[in-house]
Amino acid sequence: MFLSAVGGAALLLGVAYGVTTRQYRDAEIAVFERKIAVIEESRLATAETASREVELSDKVAELEAALATATEDLATATDALATATKRAEDAEATAAAAATQVAAAPSQEPAPEPATIVTAGVFGDADRGAEIFKQCSSCHSVGQGAKDRVGPHLNGIFGRRAGAHDGYRYSDDMAMMGSDGLTWTLETLNAYMENPKALVSRTRMNFSGLEQPGDRADVLAFLRQYSDDPANIPEAEPTAVAADRAIDPEILAIQGDPEYGEYLSSECQTCHQRTGADEGIPSITLWPEEDFVIAMHAYKEKLRPHPVMQMLAGRLNNEEIAALAAYFAQLDE
Amino acid sequence: MTLNRRHFLGATAAGAATLSAPMVMGGSHAKPRVVVVGGGAGGATAARYINKDSGGDIDVTLIEPTRRYYTCFFSNLYLGGFQEMEDLGHGYGNLASQGVNVVHDWATGIDRDAKTVALAGGGSVPYDKLILSPGIDFVDGSVPGWDLSAQNAMPHAYKAGSQTELLKAQIMAMPEGGTFAMVAPPNPYRCPPGPYERVSMVAHALKANNPTAKILVVDPKPKFSKQGLFEEGWNNHYGGMIERIGPDFGGDNFTVDPAAMTVDIDGDVNNVDVCNVIPAMKAGKICEMAGITDGNWAPVNAADMSSKMDPDIHVLGDASQQGDMPKSGFSANSQAKVCANAVRGALTGSRVFPAKFSNTCWSLIDTNDGVKVGATYEATEEKIAKVDGFISQTGEDAALRQATYEESLGWYAGITADMLG
Repeated sequence: MFLSAVGGAALLLGVAYGVTTRQYRDAEIAVFERKIAVIEESRLATAETASREVELSDKVAELEAALATATEDLATATDALATATKRAEDAEATAAAAATQVAAAPSQEPAPEPATIVTAGVFGDADRGAEIFKQCSSCHSVGQGAKDRVGPHLNGIFGRRAGAHDGYRYSDDMAMMGSDGLTWTLETLNAYMENPKALVSRTRMNFSGLEQPGDRADVLAFLRQYSDDPANIPEAEPTAVAADRAIDPEILAIQGDPEYGEYLSSECQTCHQRTGADEGIPSITLWPEEDFVIAMHAYKEKLRPHPVMQMLAGRLNNEEIAALAAYFAQLDE
Repeated sequence: MTLNRRHFLGATAAGAATLSAPMVMGGSHAKPRVVVVGGGAGGATAARYINKDSGGDIDVTLIEPTRRYYTCFFSNLYLGGFQEMEDLGHGYGNLASQGVNVVHDWATGIDRDAKTVALAGGGSVPYDKLILSPGIDFVDGSVPGWDLSAQNAMPHAYKAGSQTELLKAQIMAMPEGGTFAMVAPPNPYRCPPGPYERVSMVAHALKANNPTAKILVVDPKPKFSKQGLFEEGWNNHYGGMIERIGPDFGGDNFTVDPAAMTVDIDGDVNNVDVCNVIPAMKAGKICEMAGITDGNWAPVNAADMSSKMDPDIHVLGDASQQGDMPKSGFSANSQAKVCANAVRGALTGSRVFPAKFSNTCWSLIDTNDGVKVGATYEATEEKIAKVDGFISQTGEDAALRQATYEESLGWYAGITADMLG
């Protein structure tokens, strides 16, 4: 009985233990389950954080890339600004130095033109230009009997279409620029002489360029002597651009005979009053001589549009225009 | 360029003072003498330039019967209401004050051997060089039925002044829907576009005051100056108002009756309310009296405008037969400068420069619708020869036409100052 009692007790105990153990395990499992849940929760949270981190780092990368691009753009813009500023300065310098008038842009060129209105007082020096041109003359000849050598001869270069001189073999790029419409004017020649490759990428002209605007103006003045007419301007256009243009410095240098000018001026004074009155018809007294000469030649060349003035200026020779300029400049009324 | 009374009197007094000066120094016959007959665009310009450029070394006398000169140029604009007659009148006070002897008298004869000009007021004026610039007179009998005694009934208005005022008064008094007739002159005549500018100006006045009125032009010429421009303008501004009968429809076969106020064109009698008769023209009578005309005009050498009959007489402007230049105030002014340079050179040895001539004629078609024609000329052995020319184009825009008109106003101020100082 005892035994059985013990046995029973043991059984009970055992059962109890068993029960207790099971309960304990259950509790333990619950604890683990909670732990797992927490870990799972934590893991999820971590994963979320991680993905967010990835997301943010992507964003950062993106922003960094944008910043880099912006910085690059800024650099480019700064360069462009610097280039533009330099061009503007050069254009100004050219304008100041090169008195030869800008031939008006051919009408097919829509690109904006730098405003290089030039006065006669600062015309390039052709004699000095002849000296500077010596460094070009190993390849280019100009003047009477000039022939193509390494480079094409430069007679009649002003107004000539680029790459269009028969009998000379140009680079493909030069030929293409010509068919695209590049014409040699004061302005385009000036740009080409400054940096040949800026205008024609693979030109065969192996020359680094003339840096000084004054040097270029002088060479241009020299070359001008061997060209007919640098401008191809439709005569009916307004006078704004075409008004005052290149005059051979030799013409500007003519000393007018004021006595002859006085006689010739009598024809002007049928319409233009000696007092300088300017109703309906402009005043022509007390102009600087060179301005007068340039204006009269612009009429003579029919660049300025007035038919009476074209006609009257058209029959005046260079000496007569100089004589008129000398006379009108000295009128002291 | 208008003088007020005080200015005019002052200028005249100054002129009188200089007038007496050469007489004091005279006797010794020291200075060469130039006499100019006619104080218009040719004569006044020549007198002024010779006097001015010789610096007092030449005695210059200007003989002009009228004390006040009314420009023929711009007188059509008076008919159109664009100018006042008073603004077209100019005195000789400035020329006198600058030293020109201005004599208001008629030259009635020229003694080429004695080298003197006789005056209607008595006495005569001696000359070393004589410049005749008398303008035009009319050819007797060129308009059948009309002579100068009929000029009140049918005015010519081709010498500006009272005739122009009379014509305007008649136009303004026309009955409603009435007819203005013009008998246009045959070539050559003063101011080639003049009759047609006049038609334009009359049309402008009638359009405003009498829009149903008609204009009838009888024209012996098949074509006329600036014809395309005028006809375009007439069509644009005065559609249907103007009818021109050229020689192909009998415009060269007409008579007028000033008493009945009729114009008979090729047998067709037209009743008219106003009739502007512009007869055929010839050199001013003094040229004929001097014996230097050949036909109606006085032939000249182109280089210096000297008469082909007498090297000491020069003829300027409308009266001269010179070649290609039109008879206009501008031409006369241009010829006067060439002549003045040559005469001065001959008398004092001053430099003589090559002859250069030019002309421009502006015409007004309607308000701010101005057109022009012009040319340059040179002297050849044979004549004054045209070098180059231009003309306004049909279809020009309004801004250009207005600029052309405004330019003509500037020219008027310029040439009157150039003539009269």
